[in-house]
Amino acid sequence: MDNYQASRMREASRGRGLIPPCQVACPLHMEIGEYVDLVAQGKVMEALQVIREGNPFPSICAYVCTHPCEDACRRSQVDKSIAIRSLKRFAVEFGGDRMIQLEAETTQSEKVAVVGSGPAGLACAYYLRKLGYPVTIFEAYSELGGMLRVGIPQYRLPREVVDTEVQRLIHMGVEIKANTRVISLDLLFDMGYKAVFITVGAHQSLRMGIEGEESPGVIDGATFLREVNLGLKPSLGERVAVVGGGNVAMDAARAAVRLGANKVSILYRRSRAEMPAGPDEIEQALEEGVEATFLVAPTKVKRRNGHLSVTCVRMELGEPDAGGRRRPVPIEGSEFNREFDTLITAIGQAPQISEDFRLRIGKGSTIQVDPVTLTTNRTGVFAGGDAVTGPATVTQALASGRQAAFRINDYLRHRYPLVDKEAEETLSGELSPETIEMIRKIERLEPPLLPPEARTKEFKAVELIYNWEFAVDEARRCLRCGMGAEILFQDKCATCLTCLRVCPYHVPYLDDGGTIQIPADQCQACGICVTECPARAIALRKPYDRRHIDEELEHALKSAAESKSKPLIIGFCCQYGLFGTGALASLWREGKAGIWIVPVLCVAKLEEGHVLRPFEMGAEGVFIAGCGEQCSRENTAFWVLQRVERIRRALSQIGLEPERLQTFNLRATEGDTAEALDNFTERIGELCLASVIKQEVKS
Amino acid sequence: MIVAEQKPVEEIRRIIAPYERVLLLGCGTCVTVCGAGGEREVSFLNSVLRVAQAKGSNEIHSFWEYTVKRQCDFEFLDLLADKVNEVDAILSLGCGIGVQVVAERFPDIPVLPGVNTSFMGMAKEWGVWDERCAACGDCRLAETAGICPITRCTKGILNGPCAGTKNGKCEANKDMNCAWVLIYKRLERLQQLEKMRRYYPPRNFRVIPRPRRIVMKADVEPGEDNG
Repeated sequence: MDNYQASRMREASRGRGLIPPCQVACPLHMEIGEYVDLVAQGKVMEALQVIREGNPFPSICAYVCTHPCEDACRRSQVDKSIAIRSLKRFAVEFGGDRMIQLEAETTQSEKVAVVGSGPAGLACAYYLRKLGYPVTIFEAYSELGGMLRVGIPQYRLPREVVDTEVQRLIHMGVEIKANTRVISLDLLFDMGYKAVFITVGAHQSLRMGIEGEESPGVIDGATFLREVNLGLKPSLGERVAVVGGGNVAMDAARAAVRLGANKVSILYRRSRAEMPAGPDEIEQALEEGVEATFLVAPTKVKRRNGHLSVTCVRMELGEPDAGGRRRPVPIEGSEFNREFDTLITAIGQAPQISEDFRLRIGKGSTIQVDPVTLTTNRTGVFAGGDAVTGPATVTQALASGRQAAFRINDYLRHRYPLVDKEAEETLSGELSPETIEMIRKIERLEPPLLPPEARTKEFKAVELIYNWEFAVDEARRCLRCGMGAEILFQDKCATCLTCLRVCPYHVPYLDDGGTIQIPADQCQACGICVTECPARAIALRKPYDRRHIDEELEHALKSAAESKSKPLIIGFCCQYGLFGTGALASLWREGKAGIWIVPVLCVAKLEEGHVLRPFEMGAEGVFIAGCGEQCSRENTAFWVLQRVERIRRALSQIGLEPERLQTFNLRATEGDTAEALDNFTERIGELCLASVIKQEVKS
Repeated sequence: MIVAEQKPVEEIRRIIAPYERVLLLGCGTCVTVCGAGGEREVSFLNSVLRVAQAKGSNEIHSFWEYTVKRQCDFEFLDLLADKVNEVDAILSLGCGIGVQVVAERFPDIPVLPGVNTSFMGMAKEWGVWDERCAACGDCRLAETAGICPITRCTKGILNGPCAGTKNGKCEANKDMNCAWVLIYKRLERLQQLEKMRRYYPPRNFRVIPRPRRIVMKADVEPGEDNG
């Protein structure tokens, strides 16, 4: 992509838009609305570009992000949230992420050491390289990636993905020291590093503190997963129990299934509703035959005849604890025994920080840092990731790494930390019932999964990718929160109430002072009021859509003028969905004589001026093609036809045949559009000929 | 609110034919609200005129568009003073008042009407306007339950209904409600039917001396004693 396009896109994405809830929820604050919209237009490469601007390793997030954005998505108030992570995965796969090579130049002299190569360390190294610093990553294991490598099983994150990102970092000039455990920070400073970022993760499993925990056959989740992920095949026996309800417990259980254990049971002391693991993870584990027993906790383990006899106690839920989850309370006298071959404990993990680092350690063995600057008690030493927060998500770690890179830059440049500005307005709030009622309900499309039978045989990735059609349709469900209309020129507003009357979603209202208000948290950004406003006082917060039509139109007219093919016909086609990029795109790709397509982001945004302009520039015919029943809106056809009628009236008043303006596929796919278009072209040809003859006769 | 309708494009083209450089001047108040001459309509007209010119007319015009807040006050027009020197005519899309005020403000330049000023009325719904007031200068709405028989009865009679009412509709137009039936129903609802039983003497249909003028300001002379 050239610079012009990139800068145009950036400018467009800023606009005066309010930050939508998905972006607020994302630890990296990625411009989700922007890339989802680009996918909806079929512009996958541009979507990937936006993704890469906000995320150092989109391919990793595309697999393992816990998508807090989807939990915040306001579409869930209408039907179901947008499948944001799957759309990102689609953009990463189809947008050619693999092909991207990154370069970085060294412009600074201060060397920075990153201790630990988990997501936080990799992200920190990535951004420090981009800022021009020489960076060295120290990793205790033989391979880079931290939890990405030794924590997350391959079926959730294929190793090639991590390899690609690591290779990219090496290409950017990051120095890698694997198999190197850092034992002293002083040594690093002696070696000439001016700043150190500690991100050693939280690899130490918490102990249950019960009798017999040391027995052979009892293994902790982190160690188990590390062994599995490093290619060792721990022998588990037939019956495996996993204690815990978090993601590590799910990963361990599913890995055990894949290693051939016959019966894998999860023992969790609360109920399913309280499980901290992602709902998808739980669902997929159950699909794969993992059994879950709730409200039970082991109290004693005894090894007998090569098996484990585990004594469990039943629990009930008591008062909520500080975190709001109900505290499990043992039921007296409810003890029972179960037999297993292996018991995997996955009840939590904590960092293990060497005392020689001389860092101040806080709650849960984590490193204490200033939350804004990520500085520790030692000058020049920063810390982030799980080592600071305790076990958290990959995306949080990436965000922490990015933050560290910028704070280290501030430190090395002797600058007061330039804290990320949160000046932009965010959008929140519930959609009103009237608005929800008018929003077309469209089913959420999930990418396919491997069938459970196929999954459990090996460690292949479980989730497949969308096909093109599914992805585009899914992306079109986005409500474009924060991109809606606003009364930009209050002085022009005549309070004519047109916006209030034309809005399909009943959003604008008259306030007590008699002023029209368009609440940003309700507006669906259809643009109908913008086009209908007789005072031209309203604009979309993302002005790009309208400017886009002007630009595309002028471009088409210019190309048409150069080609000199006759008769010239301009077609405004919906750019959303497959109709614009698929069915009709084939026409212009084949270069059908004289037809030039102007892609528009919803034909409801077309103004009369847009439609008349081609006639002024010599076009013989104009058509408007919508996206038919794929349209995610209700009133598009009505408003397009209103404008078309007006224009036709005007055309006939100036002696042009009204049928020179035609619409296709506005409401539903009516018959064969290509055939209808052929008829239209033919008719325009006839009209053209007739007018030439008329001219001849006159002269 | 004043309701107007844009003139047919043929007529506008005829009117502006003699002038090369034309300023299309919108008005941001009543004609904006009724969709006849606001910024959007000015731009639409501009587009149509350009197309007409491109499609084989011999005239060569150049157009500028501009919309002021209100054409019926000189002060808003002052903004145009410079622009006006560069054009040969102004096509005002304001109501009849606007056209005249612009003409009065710029005495050296032809000012042409782009809309037909139709009536005073209200928006019934989006895109539909109804007449409501005839500006007769002698309001009788207190007696007719807030429904004006002068405007809404085809005959404008003060003691209705006439014999031409049928099923609540007017004989002149079967889709139009009989104003006097509306008045009756509303008086009934307000329990003021006695107002129907009274006889209203004919109005003074003597031609109203025009133009009318209303003077609100009092004739005072500030002096030493009174400020």
